[in-house]
Amino acid sequence: MRMVYRVLAYLVALGVVVQAMSMVYAVAGLGKWIDKGGVLDKAVMESDASPFPEVAGFAIHGINGMMIMPIIALLLLIISFFARVPGGIAWAGLVLLLVAIQITLGLAGHSIPFLGALHGLNALLLLGASLNAARLAGTRTGQHVAPATA
Amino acid sequence: MRGRLIIACVGAAAVLGPLIWLWQDSLLPGTYSVTQMGYADPGGHGHHAAGGRSIEELVADPARPADVSVSLAARKERFRLPSGRAVDGYTLNGQSPGPLIRAAPGQLVEVRLVNESVPDGITLHWHGVDVPNAEDGVAGVTQNAVMPGQQYSYRFVARQVGTFWYHSHQISHEQVAGGLLGPLVIAPPTTAAADVVALVHLYRGVRTINGREGDVRVEAEPGQRVRVRVIDTENGQLSAWVSGAPFRLVAIDGTDVVAPTPLTDTAVTVAAGGRVDLEVTMPADGTSVRVHLGGPDAVVLGSTAATAPPPTRRPASTVDPLVYGQRAPLPFDPERADRRFVYDIGRRPGFLDGRPGLFWTVNGHLYPDVPMFMVAEGNVVRMRVSNHSGEAHPMHLHGHHAVVLSRNGVAATGSPWWVDSLDVGNGESYDIAFVADNPGIWMDHCHNLPHVSEGLVAHVMYEGVSTPFRVGGTPHNEPE
Repeated sequence: MRMVYRVLAYLVALGVVVQAMSMVYAVAGLGKWIDKGGVLDKAVMESDASPFPEVAGFAIHGINGMMIMPIIALLLLIISFFARVPGGIAWAGLVLLLVAIQITLGLAGHSIPFLGALHGLNALLLLGASLNAARLAGTRTGQHVAPATA
Repeated sequence: MRGRLIIACVGAAAVLGPLIWLWQDSLLPGTYSVTQMGYADPGGHGHHAAGGRSIEELVADPARPADVSVSLAARKERFRLPSGRAVDGYTLNGQSPGPLIRAAPGQLVEVRLVNESVPDGITLHWHGVDVPNAEDGVAGVTQNAVMPGQQYSYRFVARQVGTFWYHSHQISHEQVAGGLLGPLVIAPPTTAAADVVALVHLYRGVRTINGREGDVRVEAEPGQRVRVRVIDTENGQLSAWVSGAPFRLVAIDGTDVVAPTPLTDTAVTVAAGGRVDLEVTMPADGTSVRVHLGGPDAVVLGSTAATAPPPTRRPASTVDPLVYGQRAPLPFDPERADRRFVYDIGRRPGFLDGRPGLFWTVNGHLYPDVPMFMVAEGNVVRMRVSNHSGEAHPMHLHGHHAVVLSRNGVAATGSPWWVDSLDVGNGESYDIAFVADNPGIWMDHCHNLPHVSEGLVAHVMYEGVSTPFRVGGTPHNEPE
């Protein structure tokens, strides 16, 4: 269970990395497309088509952020009840809370762009919290002590 | 050890339990009638029972012969746009957009729709035309989806003069995007002005005007008046602007604007599903005029031998129909409303038919817990449409045209602004009014079509009217 907790916590951290990369990939593709004469307006934004290939980055950001990461964070919390990681429940709860805040900030940023800036800041907090949760699950003393650190 | 495990299980159950309950509570039955969905909202009136005459009786005069007969064969296929680009989508008579249907006012239009090869079934909805309810083309509400090998005839009298369009209302978010649509113009056969239809559609992300990429050239003489009928078939609003000559915004959603004034260096926005007619008088010196539709692509009016003028950027200012044109009396008194409704759009996380996500709410509730706006024939109806969902919503009421009374509490002072597709921005609130003069069961939904499958739909329902058609079932009616 500790190992599952640890893997899930690392998956949350990996998810943050994917989020950052996918967003910049998409924005870079958008800039290139506009440079070649593409026009972005509401009609293009609301169509589910791909005017340029990097638009996949927006889709990845949305699916990963609003579907996959909440599920992983939820699983992390559930596993935390069984994993007996010191402080593990609290850190898993914090991770889930930060994911919820992150989604809220991301959506609210569409109408209040400054909240989008906080979305970027909160991503770093989430990365820190998930890495710390993973670290806690890896450094415990007891039955499963790693020989090198004993 | 055992105690810990029990506590852990209780903790897990406390997290999962509410989620599982919400999930199962959101599941929809396999088939249901929209008249049994959500809750009846009598709009301040006493509530009357539904039922009574079937919407199948609400048709155009069956004895009257058709003046305009059109046959449309629908196929799901890979086809070529006029530019040569191959697209996977839908065609009507082998083309997309489908053929232009033109009728004169008062003519009876009959359209025979044949489904040759669309596996999911199809319908046709006459967007903006206030047809009898049985001809409205909404799968699961006014008819069953027309399955492969089947056909269906639509009949209606073209009473309104203006620019309209038609599109499938079965799995509409997919079929409309794929091109199962076409333009419809109701106008007297002879007009002094040249008349150009400009149907704007994105095929898999590529913007087209009448299916063509790039400029559409139209021959126009110096001094000639030209009407450009812009149709936004997309899920988001479109900007149109004109360079090379002043223009007038002469009609919105198929209704003429009263005393439209000339405009320069100003853009016009077209709501998703909406239409605007722009009128240009060609410059006497023979120079061309560029009517930009969403970007550099344009209808270019003038001598087709001349070089097209270069694109210009979108002007910063936008026409506000709330103050454009001249005030004129309304055919009814909105202050003496019989029904008053609220259509309040929000957004929250939850489950919709077992699917987790962030969904639109109507008056605080998720689909299918949406209001059924109950009216009686002849009622004057007022509705406040407000939006605090974080995104704009182009709201489309079937079967009726509503007049905008105010926006954010500021009364309209321009020409009566009649709409069937009204873009309600985030944070905006519109008061609209209409006369309930077309009995039936009418969708009142967001025309950003994927939003409909995310729950942004309600219905206006007349007392004493029922429908035998059901969402789901066989054939699988899926109006979204």
